[in-house]
Amino acid sequence: MTTAGLDRPAPGSVPPPAPAAARPGRVAAAGWRLTRLFLTSRLVPIAVVLLAALGAVLWSSLHWHWNIAGGAAARNFIAVTIESGAAAVITVATYGPFGESERVAGRWLPWLRLGTAVLLTATAFGALAAGAAAGSLPGGDLALLRNIGGLAGIGLLAAILVGGSFAWTGPMAYLLITEGAFAHRSTTPWVWPTRLPHDRGGAICAGLVLAVGLVLFTVRGPRESGREPGPAN
Amino acid sequence: MAAATAAPVRHRIPRAAGVMPQGALRLLRVELRRNAMPWILPLIAALFWFDSYRPSTATAPLYAIRTFWNLGQGHTIIDFGPFVAGVAAWMGSRDGRRGLADLVTTTARPRWAGQLGTWAATAIWAVVAYLIFVGVMFAAYAHQGVGGSPPWWSVAVGATAVAAFTAFGFAVGVYWPSRFAAPVAAFGGFLAMSQSSQAGFRDPSGWALILPTNSNGSFVGNAQADSGIFYHWLPDLQIARIIFLAGIALLALGLTGLPARAGGKRLRIAAAVLVVAGVASAGTAIGLTASSRVGAHGVVISALHDAASDKPIAYTPVCGHVAGIGVCVAPAYQRWLPDVNAALAPVLSEVAGLPGGPVRATQIAAADAGGHGGPPPVVSLGGQPPVTRLLLGNLNMPGPCGFCAGPVVLSEFNGQIRLNFVQAFIGVNQFTDHGSPVQLAVQAVLLQEAGVPFAAQPKLITEVRDGPGASPGPAAGPVYAAARRFAALSASARQRWLAAHLAAVRAGGLALKDLP
Repeated sequence: MTTAGLDRPAPGSVPPPAPAAARPGRVAAAGWRLTRLFLTSRLVPIAVVLLAALGAVLWSSLHWHWNIAGGAAARNFIAVTIESGAAAVITVATYGPFGESERVAGRWLPWLRLGTAVLLTATAFGALAAGAAAGSLPGGDLALLRNIGGLAGIGLLAAILVGGSFAWTGPMAYLLITEGAFAHRSTTPWVWPTRLPHDRGGAICAGLVLAVGLVLFTVRGPRESGREPGPAN
Repeated sequence: MAAATAAPVRHRIPRAAGVMPQGALRLLRVELRRNAMPWILPLIAALFWFDSYRPSTATAPLYAIRTFWNLGQGHTIIDFGPFVAGVAAWMGSRDGRRGLADLVTTTARPRWAGQLGTWAATAIWAVVAYLIFVGVMFAAYAHQGVGGSPPWWSVAVGATAVAAFTAFGFAVGVYWPSRFAAPVAAFGGFLAMSQSSQAGFRDPSGWALILPTNSNGSFVGNAQADSGIFYHWLPDLQIARIIFLAGIALLALGLTGLPARAGGKRLRIAAAVLVVAGVASAGTAIGLTASSRVGAHGVVISALHDAASDKPIAYTPVCGHVAGIGVCVAPAYQRWLPDVNAALAPVLSEVAGLPGGPVRATQIAAADAGGHGGPPPVVSLGGQPPVTRLLLGNLNMPGPCGFCAGPVVLSEFNGQIRLNFVQAFIGVNQFTDHGSPVQLAVQAVLLQEAGVPFAAQPKLITEVRDGPGASPGPAAGPVYAAARRFAALSASARQRWLAAHLAAVRAGGLALKDLP
């Protein structure tokens, strides 16, 4: 007995289905399904609702003048806090519950990660820009874009280091550093919320952090661990 | 069969009769080991160093000033609170997040009891870490020779606040078992703290003092200068804050026991009682604080006040000698005694031997200095025989000054001490620099003799005085003309004239033409 002729179908058998590539409609449907499942697994719908809620909080703070007159710290405090909160929401949405099985089987995983991060960052900017329409946001939309981008970058880097669930600690830590920088009049460009909106140094630093965060996050993904109490899980 | 009947009767082992059942202790131990809080502590430690400790080292080495930023304005709480709230939310949402809620509800132990064990472990980690971090900070202060005594009651407030943050975060996690619960609790807590800080800047009295980030009352005003050096830190407000924060913690924990799945009817009634107790505690504390008044040594709440707290701290002053006159300061100011001596030396030499000249100089508390409608004078002269009283607590002492434009240089300190001394000696108002023309002319001469030239005096007066009115013009005009005339006399002639006319000069009864 030899294996010769095994690649031929047996007489009377059903011919195999045509390859998926031959059917663009089905490919699109599968791609959409994959994207939808990925977004659902990352709780992106909840993240979008939270980002909208943060936009509403910003709108309320500007409309009802929650800020108290004072120095730069007082003027920027609520805005920077809300921007950091938005970045935290983006970063927590990076957590994937499937771990290794998803990594092994998910050919499109890096692109889905990148797309989700960019989509949520854009949504955060849109939601907060809409909220800022209620009044005068310190620094305007330009500063908002820079701050959100940079903070999202910090959050993505934190997700790589400690995992998605605890990545909110990155923007929160940066917020505390920013608050201290405002209070002590530090103006290093690495603390970009303290810089003027048109400041090139602050924009470069924020853009750099976002770019590095996006690239590393796309390539490597958030840290995952099987252990429960640790920050990676 | 016979063997079975012959076997000794085995009695059931009695349960542990301690305060906490053995099972609860075991649960707590397991929760302590399986808690996420230790993972976040290195980050909090780094931020604590950066935000609470590091800025404080740029201030004068006195506990009242060193701890103004980190305990007075609550930055130790701001550094801890949001993070521990987030981690507590993570722990509180654990069962729901993993879909174990139904499973743990069917266990022998009520679900709420298990949740309280998880919260207790989380809170223990957070509070112990807070106390350790603050303890290390105080140890560093002690090593640096920081003067005065630490505000221990503020540390207790911080520890209670950390526990309250864990309770708040835990409740968020229990009610919303999502991975988003942690950032929502953390940033919600931070937003609350930032609003609390803003309210603290705005409201120097009333209910807003209950906010743990409000430095008014305890760390601002007279209390800042005296607390821990001349008088004890008043605990009244801090006790009210502890009651308030404990009330918030009880409220949050009680809320977690209200749902039907939390346990039996009795437990849920106990949870409801906890909620009511929490609301009552917080409300009572706010009411007590609203009725408070800002006293000489801090905030006084009649219902909580202990008269023993008003007793001054007994100490042996540290003394030196300048121009034959003893100069004494509190031990906390010992490091600045040479600076004080150097600042006083020229002016004390000038007035030595004059009638009404001081026989000694001593540091006093702000509460012991009269203000006469303005802030208490930095230097005053009083008593019989006359004593120069130095209110050093209201001065920026030479060296690091975290809340100034830069370090306080010796020449700045000397200028202020000398100007205020001369003003006190001849009766010029230190708050407004208001005096008769002769008083101002004599002041100008005495200052020049003490090393402050005429031309530099208007700038010095402008920098030192904090009262209303226009800044003095250049060193010209009739006052300075008379001062130059008087300064042209020999030192002995000036001394003789001053000895004869000092009382009249102080009374403001002479005209410029009377000055030789």
